[in-house]
Amino acid sequence: MAACTSRLDKFILSMRLLRNQQLQNERFLSTSVCRPAPENDSDPPKFTPPPKPVIIDKSKAIILRKFLSPEFIPPRQRTDPFKFYLERKDMILRRKVLKIPEFYVGSILAVNMADPNASGKTNRFVGICIQRGGKGLGATFILRNVINNQGVEMCYELYSPLIQSVEVLKLEKRLDDNLMYLRDAMPEYSTVDPNMKPETFSTSGEVPVNKIKVRMRPKPWLKRWERPKFNIQGIRFDLRLTPQQMEGAQKRAEPWREYDMLKEYDTSVLEEQIFGEVQSEMSK
Amino acid sequence: MRLTLHMLISHGRVARRMGMGPESRINMLRNILTGLVRHERVETTLGRADEVRFYAEKLIDYAKKGDTDEKAMKMANFWLTEKDLVPKLFKVLAPRFETHSRSYTRMVRIPNRQNLDRAKMAVLEYKGNPFPPLFPVKKQNELTLINQLLKGYREERAQELAAKS
Repeated sequence: MAACTSRLDKFILSMRLLRNQQLQNERFLSTSVCRPAPENDSDPPKFTPPPKPVIIDKSKAIILRKFLSPEFIPPRQRTDPFKFYLERKDMILRRKVLKIPEFYVGSILAVNMADPNASGKTNRFVGICIQRGGKGLGATFILRNVINNQGVEMCYELYSPLIQSVEVLKLEKRLDDNLMYLRDAMPEYSTVDPNMKPETFSTSGEVPVNKIKVRMRPKPWLKRWERPKFNIQGIRFDLRLTPQQMEGAQKRAEPWREYDMLKEYDTSVLEEQIFGEVQSEMSK
Repeated sequence: MRLTLHMLISHGRVARRMGMGPESRINMLRNILTGLVRHERVETTLGRADEVRFYAEKLIDYAKKGDTDEKAMKMANFWLTEKDLVPKLFKVLAPRFETHSRSYTRMVRIPNRQNLDRAKMAVLEYKGNPFPPLFPVKKQNELTLINQLLKGYREERAQELAAKS
């Protein structure tokens, strides 16, 4: 009994000490923190969470990329604009039947063409687009591929009725508008896997530019690509040409060309007008 | 069939061949254009005046964009060999042609050169120049019968219109 009571006393003493401590703490705390008067302990204040902020992200408004196919822009000629208008109407009629996607020189395309001699009456060709030529209904594009160590180039007319479908497997641009120098480049730059799967690409934002610099075969080349007339950015000249040869090529640069106002052809106004026309016709 | 026949026929080419090649042609046109901007009235051969006319009008179009525009300043710097004419182009000639939209120059033929070559000559000038006009303006004589009748008709019409309104 004596042990219990002594322990009990100790317990009571410790409790008293604790309570004193608590009271003292409370006194210290009460100066720093405002507390409501603890009168009604039955109703503690309910915690209401603040309203969630509504975020309107206007920077991510999706703007579709504006693209006008280059064959719509008429060349600078003395012909009546009415001829180009009629041609555009025919082009739009064909486009309503066959979906011609947006593509650039350097993109990888697959074309299905009608062929009476092929099994299944269609043949398929996959390749890199190296050139887009011609204006109006005669617009063409050349696809290049290396098949069984043989370089093959196929020139297709966009508006030919033989073409059954045009798919873009990879949409990208290159540093130049004309990739004819791939004929003189190492074959690995022109090889495209014929069974390639189409890659997804976004319809808004910039088209990805492939800044690859191509290695060339030894000279002689089909054309003197180093001359400034071609203005090629996508070749590694330093591997095949000496600095003297580069300087010799620069002798043919015509620095007055950029100031020659006769050679300027400003298509911005025409482009906008034609773009509006084509959009309204295609949406009908 | 010769495949280079295309190179021999000037299908739709608009630039004349002058001097000793394209560089020489551009330099010659530059000199004539500089003289035109300085004196505002120049006398040259017909062909050269015709070529310079196009460049003169395009230069004014560029000058109208203002001298803060990079491209305009580069063009003016290239085409005017005497650099004290660059401010004259932007500050005198561009404001003068603000209301005009297309034609800023006038080309007039004059009697052939007296040299052995008897070349066709022309005078090229910017409109609004301070010299006396190239064509003397013929004054209409008011006292002729037809002019008097027309004057009377115009006055009657003006009276009728005033009476109506």
